[in-house]
Amino acid sequence: MEQFESLLTCCVCLDRFRNPKLLPCQHSYCMEPCMDGLVDYVRRQVKCPECRAEHRIPYQGVQGFPTNVTLQRFLELHAQIAGELPDPTAGQVMERCNVCSEKAYCALCAHCDKKVCDDCKSAHMEVLRREIARINNQIRRGVNRLQDILSVVERNTTNLQTNCAAVAGEVDEIHKRLSKALKDRTDFLRNEIDRYLATELRNLTNLKDNLELELSNIQSNCDLADKYMNDDVDWEDTELVDTKEIFLKTVEFLRNFDYEAGDYNRRVRFIMTHDPNQLVLHVASYGELNITHPHTYANSLQPSQGLTRSKSDHRLATQFRQQEDAKGYTENDEPILGGRKFGEKRPPPPERHTRDYGATDDYSGYESEHRPSRRFRSRFVRSHQQDNDSDTEQPSRVVKSENKEKEKEKVADTEDATRGPLSGIFRLSDCPRVMQRILDVDSGKKKEKKEVPPPPKPVQPTPQPARRPPTQRQQSEDDEITRLKRQNKGAASSQEPDRATQRNTEEERNAITRKPPTPAREASSDGESDESVGTLQRTQRKNSTTIPKPTVATRRPSASETPSTHRPAPRAPSTESSASTESSGSAVKHTGAILTIAELKAKYSPTGISPKPASRFFSAGNERTTTSTTNGTAGGAQRVQSRFIGSQRPTPAPAPAEQAHEDSDTSSEEETESSEESEEEPATQRKPESQAMARSDIGPLLARSSNARNDTQENKSKDPPAQSRYRTRQPAPPEEEPTSRYGASGSSYSRYGSRPKDDEMTSSIDDDTKYPTARSRYLALKERRNRLARSKSSHTGFGAGDDDEADDPVSPTTASPSAYLAARYGSGTGGSELSRSRSSHALKSRESSPERPVTGEKDGAALSSWARYLKNKYGSRGKDRDSSGTSSSTARRLSLGLPLRSANELASSDDDSKNAAGSPISPTAATAAVAGFAAAGSSPRSQYLQKRRLQFSVGSRGSEPGYFTWPRGIAVGPDNTMVVADSSNHRVQVFDMNGIFIKEFGQYGSGEGEFDCLAGVAVNRIGQYIIADRYNHRIQVFDPAGRFLRSFGSQGTGDGKFNYPWGITTDALGFIYVCDKENHRVQVFQSDGTFVGKFGSFGSKLGQLEHPHYIAVSSTNRVLVSDSNNHRIQVFDVNGRVLSSFGEEGSEDGQFKFPRGVAVDDQGYIVVADSGNNRIQIFHPDGTFLRAFGSWGSSDGEFKGLEGIAVMSGGNIIVCDRENHRVQVF
Amino acid sequence: MAALPRRIIKETQRLMQEPVPGISAVPSETNARYFHVIVTGPEDSPFEGGLFKLELFLPEDYPMSAPKVRFITKIYHPNIDRLGRICLDILKDKWSPALQIRTVLLSIQALLSAPNPDDPLANDVAELWKVNESEAIRNAKEWTRRYAMDN
Repeated sequence: MEQFESLLTCCVCLDRFRNPKLLPCQHSYCMEPCMDGLVDYVRRQVKCPECRAEHRIPYQGVQGFPTNVTLQRFLELHAQIAGELPDPTAGQVMERCNVCSEKAYCALCAHCDKKVCDDCKSAHMEVLRREIARINNQIRRGVNRLQDILSVVERNTTNLQTNCAAVAGEVDEIHKRLSKALKDRTDFLRNEIDRYLATELRNLTNLKDNLELELSNIQSNCDLADKYMNDDVDWEDTELVDTKEIFLKTVEFLRNFDYEAGDYNRRVRFIMTHDPNQLVLHVASYGELNITHPHTYANSLQPSQGLTRSKSDHRLATQFRQQEDAKGYTENDEPILGGRKFGEKRPPPPERHTRDYGATDDYSGYESEHRPSRRFRSRFVRSHQQDNDSDTEQPSRVVKSENKEKEKEKVADTEDATRGPLSGIFRLSDCPRVMQRILDVDSGKKKEKKEVPPPPKPVQPTPQPARRPPTQRQQSEDDEITRLKRQNKGAASSQEPDRATQRNTEEERNAITRKPPTPAREASSDGESDESVGTLQRTQRKNSTTIPKPTVATRRPSASETPSTHRPAPRAPSTESSASTESSGSAVKHTGAILTIAELKAKYSPTGISPKPASRFFSAGNERTTTSTTNGTAGGAQRVQSRFIGSQRPTPAPAPAEQAHEDSDTSSEEETESSEESEEEPATQRKPESQAMARSDIGPLLARSSNARNDTQENKSKDPPAQSRYRTRQPAPPEEEPTSRYGASGSSYSRYGSRPKDDEMTSSIDDDTKYPTARSRYLALKERRNRLARSKSSHTGFGAGDDDEADDPVSPTTASPSAYLAARYGSGTGGSELSRSRSSHALKSRESSPERPVTGEKDGAALSSWARYLKNKYGSRGKDRDSSGTSSSTARRLSLGLPLRSANELASSDDDSKNAAGSPISPTAATAAVAGFAAAGSSPRSQYLQKRRLQFSVGSRGSEPGYFTWPRGIAVGPDNTMVVADSSNHRVQVFDMNGIFIKEFGQYGSGEGEFDCLAGVAVNRIGQYIIADRYNHRIQVFDPAGRFLRSFGSQGTGDGKFNYPWGITTDALGFIYVCDKENHRVQVFQSDGTFVGKFGSFGSKLGQLEHPHYIAVSSTNRVLVSDSNNHRIQVFDVNGRVLSSFGEEGSEDGQFKFPRGVAVDDQGYIVVADSGNNRIQIFHPDGTFLRAFGSWGSSDGEFKGLEGIAVMSGGNIIVCDRENHRVQVF
Repeated sequence: MAALPRRIIKETQRLMQEPVPGISAVPSETNARYFHVIVTGPEDSPFEGGLFKLELFLPEDYPMSAPKVRFITKIYHPNIDRLGRICLDILKDKWSPALQIRTVLLSIQALLSAPNPDDPLANDVAELWKVNESEAIRNAKEWTRRYAMDN
């Protein structure tokens, strides 16, 4: 065996043959290095070491000698038999060492990044060991800095706690004071009322007694006179005279005595010294938490002040810093050691991605502002958008993290356990490799030690500046906000904190590998989980976005960036949870959340309830119908409906229609009964509350709606005049009008319903039969109530036109006041209807009747809150703003409102479709309306097809009234006024439909009512101007006269923050949609600025956005967004779910280049300002191309850089021709 | 200071594990390429009974070039000069990488048994060896006893 072994051994290297080469003398040697070394280069010979025979070297060199295949087989055989491990260097090829240039088996040296031989490597390791020792000294000297910081942080912790405690105390104190004052005052007022009541009552009783006495006296006198003042009795003359005198007196008394009025006029009035709305507003926002941003933290912990710079070894310091920069060290997300495990081999240098700047360019660069400085770029400069770069980086990072995970599988994950959250430094002694080494040393394996001591050098030896504290702070801040929000919302969800902390810990870890936080309550809905996913994507994206930057960026910006990176995460849960809070809350209160219809289904069907949201929506939908009717087309509503329900729109069933008749027939008889029953309904908390509201007379409308049921009860017991008081008292400011119209209070719809003219929409019937689902039940319920109210009112035959306006005083003397009131206070009837249906259950419904009372009960509450919300929204200046509607509760309701509205419209429009047949009163009106609709419906297409010729244009460059400098957004206001965002003149100009200048407002600045390059304008239905104040990163709202009302938003990426908001629009309910351009999303707000929701994230996939510019909402509640850099229009529903998208980059029909303005007419035709192609394109409602017109140029009908676009009600298209500084009308 | 080639390590190990009779080669503690060598005088030779110290140094390109070997102990031998340098063909032009430390030392031992006065290094010794071999052998024994046997 030994000989066998020796036969396999190369006699030169005394090792196993490696690639044995056979010399002609039949001796074999390894090719490398043995044979190589034998070469006599001068003579080009090789001399056999064994036999000293000299052989000429083949042309190709020594490798030209044949390989000794036999020997190789033997080698393999031997390896098999002996079970030897394969030669570790088997696959390797010798190379020249890059340091000593000897030929050897070289390996990559971590120190110099070169391939070096073992010798040089060990030398390098020696160097590294020395350096480590030196740096270690520096660290020891510098570590006290950290200790100092630690103590500072500890101090700050206590400070924070005391501070917060103090503030909380203050808040509590204020709360106590406020509530005490409120209570005192309330008590006082009540006492006053009681006292007044007592005295008045006493007086009245007195009077009554007296009168009764008088009456009986006179009566007896009369009787006596009748009986005895005749001839039967002898009366003396004096007696008769006296009697006559008395009777005369009586006559006189009767004539003269005048108890003032049959009414009781000495009413108490409750007059607020302050506008209750203001008061509520003040109370609702009686304080804010002013939280100073912790820049100081960030600064004090800047790495630049680390000891590396100041201390001795400059070379090391610079080296380290370069490393930092190159690795994007400033990002905490960047793992230490470049993501490797300690001591692992370094990965090969990553390939660089070539980045395609061009693809994402904004074609007219000057408009894409990534930072304010870019505002002044030349407009033809192509913008190299850094944000875009980050995307290309992402894949590689992902790969990296994957690798890392793989590594983690095999090595115990001890490193991460002690990883410093700030610097990423972990404890070396926890690293498995280190432990192994130390173990080896301790166990005395001296020999191994020689090979061992691997430099732990690449561990960033310099102190890692702490940058996390700001983050921490930020989070706590956010938590605070969340908490406040939650408080405001009135319902705290317990899981929130948990999730937040969980989030925190996740945050602490390597952000890249962060797992998607799985929403705890997935039970809720698609919508929600969608949202959370969206959020997640966003956060992830954000993380990755910020990562590549630091190469360019200095440390400071990136440091400040870090908190912002983390911001979305904590915030996201808050929004989510608030949503969930709402939805969970809705189980109890049924305020609901952003619920899809499906969710509603899920939610309401098991619990089996609650048309409460329905009632709201119902009224809103009703409102809709009404408006459309006033426009002369009943079709408006119909359209709404048909779009919305699409295929599932039911065909009107005759049976329900009959039922409706029945219903209305019986309604008046049942009225009394029903209201009685409603009295029996169990009282909830709501009831007293709303009663209180009614008593205080703060919000008559509110009281009316919320108390509707109670009122009806009261109606019965009390005099109608008492009720009418509310109404007559009620001031009638114009702003309130919409409120009352919107107001879910039954009055509005019953009122409309009572108008014969509007009867086409009354008494519609939708039955459960049409809707097998829970929702259908819910809708049906709603409808029934509605129908009932209408039919009832129409049955009472109440004067049609009399009470058109909610503000009209109601004559209490009308024939059937109780019926009237019942109709008027619709929800009361709703409730009663429900109860009636329970009792009589004449109505088909599949619902189990026991549910009903609950439902009815909730209706009241819902109505009230809805009314409150609407009032908040539209009646902010109105006198009768209710006291309890805080903005947050509004938000809740609003968020509810979005999806529900659709259901509602569905219902109401269903009504419409049937009404024509169902209404007994005015079929003509209905048909007329339908005809009108038909006419209107056919017109736009041809109208658009004809469009080509310019009607007129307005303005040219300048700053005088009627001139523009880069006009951008445009909107159509009331009476077809044109509202133009005169961007670089920092003002809004308003023109009438003929282009005559009406007014302007706004100037440059950042104060109230001032603009900085405003972009989008919108006008809501009550004529308020809503302006996207672009460089101020806020939205401003102005009243119809152009006076500043409010503003909201600031720069940032969180909810309710903006990064160059651009296009803006509102929908029929007043929700504000904002294209948050640089955040690549759309945000939705209530008209008071309360954040409602957001959708879209950066990207080019469906539902993602890249620089969305303009936005429009159709009458069918489809949200159209010009996804400019993706060259398409995307269509969302109001919940932000993408419905469709059309267009791609190009100049063909139906293609876009950086589309900007988008508008939709009332028929759903879509008009797009195809900016890059300088043309206007018109699309069918389904997104198919209709026609295009326009080209580049400055004459009529030509464009240079289109911006906002809008469509007038007459079909005229108005568009901002930016570079021509004009508005053109087609 | 390059690392030790595997071949040297192997040779050293083998020398330690399977020492050649009559030869001991121990690497220096400070330099693995430097060996302290002791060769016993072969039997039936004038050097019998003597312990001859040598030093052996493996040059950088060993095994491509021959090791440097020198007698430290004085020896009376026609092929070894007074400085201890050895005249041996395999240490010069006949070196082959197939040779090893042990073969070299064996050759040296053999050289002691069979001096080759025809290829002299120490001319005086060679002369005497040729002229008066017995005289020369006596001298050799004398030197051996004097220099190679004392300690």
